[in-house]
Amino acid sequence: MALAARVNADRDAVSALVSDQRRILGRTVVRAALLGFALLLLMQILFELNNFPFGFPTWLPILVAYGLWGVALCAGSILQHGEAGWRALFVLPAILFTVALVIFPTFFGLYIAFTDWNLSSVDGRKFNGLANFYQLIQDPYFWNALGNMVFYVVSVLVQYAIAFGLALLLNADIKGRKFFRVSFLLPFMLSPVAVSWMIGKSMLEYRYGPIPRLARALGWDNPNLLGDERFAKFTVAAMDAWVWIPFMMILLLAGLQALSKEIQEAAKVDGATGWQSFWQITFPLMLPVSLTAIVLRVIFQLKLADIVINTTSGGPGGATDTISSFIFREYRDRSNVGYGTMIAEVYLVLIIIFITLLLKFTSRYMQKTT
Amino acid sequence: MRVDLYNLMMNRRSVLKGTSALAAATATGTLTAAPQAASAADDLRAQILAIPGVGKGQPTDADWQKVGAMCLDATKASVKEGEFKGVELSFLGLNNQNVHNVLFRGLSKAWADYTGAKINWIDLAQSDYNARLQQSIATGTVDFDIAEMGAPFEGDVCGKGLASVMPDWVAKQIDMDDYVGYLKAPVGTWEGKTYRVSCDGDCHNFNYRSDVFADKGLADEWAKAGNKTPWGVPTTWQQVQAVTLFLKGKKLDGKDLYGYLDPTKGWGGFAFYFLGSRATAYAKHPDDKAFLFDIDTMKPRVNNPAWVRAIQDVLDALPSEPADQLNADPGTTGFQQFLAGTGTMLSWWGDIGSNVNTNDSSTIQGKTAFSILPGSDDVYNSKAGKWETLASGPNFAPNMAYIGWGIYVMARVDADPVKQKAAWSLAAHLGGKDISLWCSAYPSGFQPYRQSHFNTKEWVGAGYDEAFITSYLKSEADSYNHPNAAIEPRIPGIFQYYSGAEDILAQIYAGKMKAQEGADAIAAAWDKLTDQLGRENQIKLYKASLGV
Amino acid sequence: MPPALKTTLIYAALLFWTVIALFPIFWTFTTSFKTAVDVTQGHILPFIEYWPDWKGLRSIGLSPDTIFLDSTPREEFFKRFYNSVIASTGASALALVIGSTAAYGLSRFQYRFAIWGNKDISFFFLSQLILPPVVLAMPFLVLYKELALLDSMVGLILIYTLSVLPIVIWIMRDQFDSIPVELEQAALVDGCSSWSAFFKIVVPIALPGMVAAFILSVILCWNEYFFAALLTSTTAKTLPVMVASQTGSQGIAWWAMAALASAAILPLLLIGIFLEKYIVKGLTAGAVK
Repeated sequence: MALAARVNADRDAVSALVSDQRRILGRTVVRAALLGFALLLLMQILFELNNFPFGFPTWLPILVAYGLWGVALCAGSILQHGEAGWRALFVLPAILFTVALVIFPTFFGLYIAFTDWNLSSVDGRKFNGLANFYQLIQDPYFWNALGNMVFYVVSVLVQYAIAFGLALLLNADIKGRKFFRVSFLLPFMLSPVAVSWMIGKSMLEYRYGPIPRLARALGWDNPNLLGDERFAKFTVAAMDAWVWIPFMMILLLAGLQALSKEIQEAAKVDGATGWQSFWQITFPLMLPVSLTAIVLRVIFQLKLADIVINTTSGGPGGATDTISSFIFREYRDRSNVGYGTMIAEVYLVLIIIFITLLLKFTSRYMQKTT
Repeated sequence: MRVDLYNLMMNRRSVLKGTSALAAATATGTLTAAPQAASAADDLRAQILAIPGVGKGQPTDADWQKVGAMCLDATKASVKEGEFKGVELSFLGLNNQNVHNVLFRGLSKAWADYTGAKINWIDLAQSDYNARLQQSIATGTVDFDIAEMGAPFEGDVCGKGLASVMPDWVAKQIDMDDYVGYLKAPVGTWEGKTYRVSCDGDCHNFNYRSDVFADKGLADEWAKAGNKTPWGVPTTWQQVQAVTLFLKGKKLDGKDLYGYLDPTKGWGGFAFYFLGSRATAYAKHPDDKAFLFDIDTMKPRVNNPAWVRAIQDVLDALPSEPADQLNADPGTTGFQQFLAGTGTMLSWWGDIGSNVNTNDSSTIQGKTAFSILPGSDDVYNSKAGKWETLASGPNFAPNMAYIGWGIYVMARVDADPVKQKAAWSLAAHLGGKDISLWCSAYPSGFQPYRQSHFNTKEWVGAGYDEAFITSYLKSEADSYNHPNAAIEPRIPGIFQYYSGAEDILAQIYAGKMKAQEGADAIAAAWDKLTDQLGRENQIKLYKASLGV
Repeated sequence: MPPALKTTLIYAALLFWTVIALFPIFWTFTTSFKTAVDVTQGHILPFIEYWPDWKGLRSIGLSPDTIFLDSTPREEFFKRFYNSVIASTGASALALVIGSTAAYGLSRFQYRFAIWGNKDISFFFLSQLILPPVVLAMPFLVLYKELALLDSMVGLILIYTLSVLPIVIWIMRDQFDSIPVELEQAALVDGCSSWSAFFKIVVPIALPGMVAAFILSVILCWNEYFFAALLTSTTAKTLPVMVASQTGSQGIAWWAMAALASAAILPLLLIGIFLEKYIVKGLTAGAVK
């Protein structure tokens, strides 16, 4: 609502072209729509609280009313501001859509994080203040999972190195580049569910899976890739890498192709070896692209869950647990919604701090940030 | 074949004049009072058991449809053709490959064609099941009319008044008297009322490799190793431990031998039952109905000496088990290890036995036998706080893990009599006497649970080896009928207790905690959970579930 | 290093990675043709180590001998396949429409909504990408119940739109940034409004990028499991949930799981093979001008 009143996008000369009459009409439309929507909302709230005889059985009409209000808001802003209103119309639908879908979950999520809500409890939800937070501070599973997250995030650097190598290969003077590029890209198409099952469970099966059999043929007697704490984390990271390396590789390949050939030729003439020219010329020039790729990957990595849930359930002994898979167990297997949501909210705050710092730290090296 | 059978049935019905075909089948199922009728019923049972025939590969959708059509008589007796036209039923169940809902679809196709009802299937992965059910209950979104549900969830569903009470005609149609004893009241009821159409009866039995225990070479080595007792199938956990440690590094037919298989990885709560199977002989005293909690206070017993000994047993055995054991969940131990020929001894639900000869992955045909779970030389008396040796010998306490799947009709259909009848008719069809025989003989996720399922002749007729099936059925029947059977509490959130314990057990098995220390942690977590769920209420429901 | 050796090494490395990238896909497809014995003996090469069997496809009623018979699993499979197609394309289309207009606005104009400038609006959209979906599970369940959107295609499309919107905006904003402003300015001088300049001049140029954004969104929606499992039951259920549930108390029917997984990834593989150009374009947009 404050939004509506203060739409003044690109307030320049164009708005002066709008007549007073139109401006008043626009303002009236916006206010009338707002009033209508607010009344409807109030009625429904009172109805739900059993204080009012009329209302709808579900909240769907309220969503429709919100949509209509959105239309009126757009129309009103055009009437009031003319061209500036038209310009606001570019972003308004996306903003209104996102707000409509996230506003309730965000606030409701915040609220249940401060409640004791076990779905099996006869008494239902009980407000319990910061108790969930104190429990979290003392929860070794949380800290263990957080430690693992550090490992997984760092493993992005390894993925980056491999992806860079592949991008360099694809950028070399080779035949069949399209074939290799498509082949390398395909793992990115696979769903995490399919990867967990067909790779995590089938190919890594200890007795007859092809990977342990290959390992045995190479002389490793006991290729216990998911059952041994020492290897399980690396195995999970490797499966994750298999899916996501193509993503980074393509970003880096595009970066390489955008570099001017002349710079590299010049380096050669100066007598630099391949290695020197890579470290002194290519790598620094690629830094912005690299950081974009890494930051994006880190954002996705912080959500890592599916593969862990399906292949190891966080084990053995918590070695592969991630925050998301831990929340998932707390939530799904133990129906402990209040505590699970508190973990999620705290994690969200940690992520936002981490990403903000990361962006701050890297932004001066990056071509673009958000 | 179906036409012949149909004629046969019509014939039988005219003989019985007015008595419903089902009542006839019920009355004569295993008796021989009316020879003609009995032979017709037996014919039907023999004919469905021949689909597709043991040893002819896993049954497929076409087979399920056939079986469903042949077992439709009871429905035809109580429902007119097209009676449920326009009725839509939502059926919530598991979508495990080849079993449960996938199987129910095939089995109920003929029912739907005949009655005119339409069934909408809600399929859930096993791991999503508990969460989905809890969320539906808590948010008031019970969007199904019928649920395939495990008995442990009765606390959550029946305890909250969400289920419909079984009408008498259903009880008659499915012949509830035929159930094995422990599935009748009080375990088969909730606060005195019947809600469940059982389609499964669950217990863990002891599966072992008969070839290993019959091997001469191993017997010699066993004696050479200084063992006084003869080489043979263990009957107590103490012996299981000894055999497991002994078999480490031994070979049979060139393959590595392993003893007992412990699943150590969580399975959404289901893995806890496997520790339970090791612990019941230690923890379930014949004079005490409870073994997991003190019944008056809900104080956990999981950290008492009996349970800690079971945990320690797992820790002692793990070095002698296959190297990947720390990533093995029950599915792995049962199907990728035991059925594929790895490991000598295993506690599992009866599925293993029905899969040995009918599952395509099985490599242990003719090498497997069964018994009830091993016992223990001594048993812990929780009330006295000390170990006791019983005068009657070792203490046995089969673990009735999960108590079995059932079909439940939700209370929301009660408002509409046609819908209510349709829902119960479908439940009765799927839990029918003959259909259940077929389900227990083929891979279905369900086990024998009726007295009429224990007729060895029928199984042999289907193609089972007599020695094998006798051993299998005996282990099941002996477990069900055992006076000291350990029956888990059907209280709200029971799987939350199990799931929480699984996380801590994983730490213990990985060597991060000592047995006692870990057990104390589980007990503390359980106490906390009980308080969260409401201790008074839990105690009340625990007592109700045990009929105390 | 002699050039011949260098070339050899490059091709060796390329082939090595090709095997790593393609073998699991090969494994998935071939496993659907294996019998249980072929699985437990770890056979790899069809026709040489084992003779392919229709087992996997038979389990979903798609093998030559079952395709004309009644099959309940096949019905189920097609229903879910259809739902997956509708949900992923529907959500991607909606996200593309509101996402690319928003991206265009953010790329060309300076906004001030209360204390929010362009940077804040962009971060608001991107922050939706950061959120782990599990945070929103319970709130969404409650919200959807109140809105009567549970188990509806509309509900699924809305939440998928929400989840891919940030990516569409991210890609499209860079697409628009790379188009010179002069083109539109000329049109504006000729009396076009900003919207007609957008449709007549900008959209045709940015079309390849829009296709890329659309394909990427389809990939992400097609593979989504968590919300599909949470918010649907009968009418709106999708394929990934069916793949995930192929295990339970009867062991794993590898052939059936592989057949379903193959069927679920096949459309995306075809997209990958034939539309790779566009995907690359979409992915590179954000990083490189």
